[in-house]
Amino acid sequence: MREGEAFLDIRGAEKSFAGNRVLGGVDFGVNRGEFVSLLGPSGCGKTTLLRIVAGLLDADRGSVRLAGSEIGNLPTHKRGVGVVFQNYALFPHLSVADNVAFGLRAQRRPQADIAPTVAKFLDLVHLTEMAARPVRGLSGGQQQRVAVARALAVAPKLLLLDEPFSALDRKLRETMQIELKRLLRDVGITTVLVTHDQEEALVMSDRVAVMSRGAIEQFDRPDAIYLRPKTPFALGFVGHSTRIVGKAGASSDGTLAIETPVGRFFAAASFMGGAPVLLAIRPERIRINAADADANSLDAKLTELVFQGSKVHLHFTAGDAQTLLVEAAQIPPNLAVGDTARLSWSYSDTLIFPHDGTLQ
Amino acid sequence: MIAALKNRLARMDRIAILAVPALVYMIAIFAIPVAGLLLRSFSGPDGFTLAGYVSFLGDAFNWRVIGNTLRVAAITTLICLAIGYPTAVALSRARGFVQVALLVAIILPLSVGVVVKAFAWQIVLRRDGIVANILVGLGVWDTPQLLLFTETGLVVGAANLFLPFMILPIYSVLKLVDPNIQDAAATLGASPVYRFFKVALPLAMPGIVSGSSIVFSLAVSMYVIPSLLIGDRFQTLATLVGRSFLLMRNEQLGAVTASVLLALALAIVAFSSWAVRRKGDSR
Repeated sequence: MREGEAFLDIRGAEKSFAGNRVLGGVDFGVNRGEFVSLLGPSGCGKTTLLRIVAGLLDADRGSVRLAGSEIGNLPTHKRGVGVVFQNYALFPHLSVADNVAFGLRAQRRPQADIAPTVAKFLDLVHLTEMAARPVRGLSGGQQQRVAVARALAVAPKLLLLDEPFSALDRKLRETMQIELKRLLRDVGITTVLVTHDQEEALVMSDRVAVMSRGAIEQFDRPDAIYLRPKTPFALGFVGHSTRIVGKAGASSDGTLAIETPVGRFFAAASFMGGAPVLLAIRPERIRINAADADANSLDAKLTELVFQGSKVHLHFTAGDAQTLLVEAAQIPPNLAVGDTARLSWSYSDTLIFPHDGTLQ
Repeated sequence: MIAALKNRLARMDRIAILAVPALVYMIAIFAIPVAGLLLRSFSGPDGFTLAGYVSFLGDAFNWRVIGNTLRVAAITTLICLAIGYPTAVALSRARGFVQVALLVAIILPLSVGVVVKAFAWQIVLRRDGIVANILVGLGVWDTPQLLLFTETGLVVGAANLFLPFMILPIYSVLKLVDPNIQDAAATLGASPVYRFFKVALPLAMPGIVSGSSIVFSLAVSMYVIPSLLIGDRFQTLATLVGRSFLLMRNEQLGAVTASVLLALALAIVAFSSWAVRRKGDSR
């Protein structure tokens, strides 16, 4: 491998469909053994990037290197890149065991190795009893496990997961996410997950690449994405937030004043005075009627209270139309819809972004 | 439990009523005449006899006719399969306007009668027809030759007429196959050739079997097309049936020939579907 080159190393990947630019020069690197997610809304280019890595699409420009060699010109079947497809794409004419054995047979692995390898991977996904069954009758979760075993059996260098949980119901999805993460860590395979589900990306990944409009907005650890989003898009796509539009004021000692229609707030940031800014706060960072010194605060009226089991979402309105979202562990006592409360949050929890006049 | 079963049977019975009009129609205009034909083939002056079959199968000419019939039907089916399968694949991958245009191009010719198309082929296959002119122009032939009234002309024309009946069943199977399956096979390291034989072909097989059965059945029993494209010198079982009844007025020979044709066609279609299905199961 060249110096500074990642295990999967994509440089300047570009792709257009009929003049419509889907990927605009993406750089993307994944380390050996790492679990990375490509997270973004539909049409952001994440699936296009996955298909380029697998060789199912050709990039217009850019290089794709895997384990130190260029694979961008190789046909799919010579890349050693496994894929678990969204609908699993199992072979309907083959049994569970024959699905898992397909790649081994296609690659002409020694006959004596095939049965033990199939048995090993069926065991790994707890499908040993299902070996002889046709795949048609399997449940969604079982089909996914067959797809994973089938992809892993040929020992690919890299595994790509294309929205593999979207066909499962919510409860099963959470179980499968944890189970699959553990399995892939045990196998030690480098994995890229493509998903539009932020929770899935945060739960499963070592690092998350947030994509929008054919570009990677932020590529960081899950906690950093949530706590320190670099762009308004990353802020909006991952988690909830309250957003207040304002204007940068004076700054001193690394503390910036922001003038907004609902008051003056401070943040640990520096900005050019007079520039339009977007101020944001995560809902669980806002406290209700707390005696905070050195914190931003404002008075707001409770307009709605949404009970969600383990947590409560409280919607407030300040001024004419400024809404604020607060997340609390339980319904605060002595607070009813229509009451006014004092909301406060620390300077360091105040996120600041340059504002281009649009709110996503 | 018995009540539930009764209930189900009762419901099935009521739904089965929907098939009654078709059943009555088919019995009246198909089953009864065929039964009559079979009876006729076994009846002589003294009641039941096998004499018709014995004399039919004892005649070398009739064996040549059987050979002609099966050969022409088999070659026609193979031509339709070789052209129809790729077309069905293209049709199943096409989208939007292209797909509609392809479908119209395949289905619209069905609205032109067989006789009209057979006459059109007569013009195309003439010594001064377009095919002969092109082949001479390309230097394949030194002098224009007659394709009309040859076996080549017959199978080319027949394949053209029956092609939609091969394409449509294969297409209807292929359009239900998940396009990701081919990609999945590729990511598992399967070469294009391996993917074709181990994935594409097995998945298309139900369509190939029904398309081939339909085309073979049509080709083995075609009457107008050989009459117009090859003429009396070349007899098939179907033209022989026509001659027996219409020219020779030999009803027993006609009935025997028709029964032999029916038995052969049924046997071959049944055997080939069974063989393909068996191969599929033993994989």
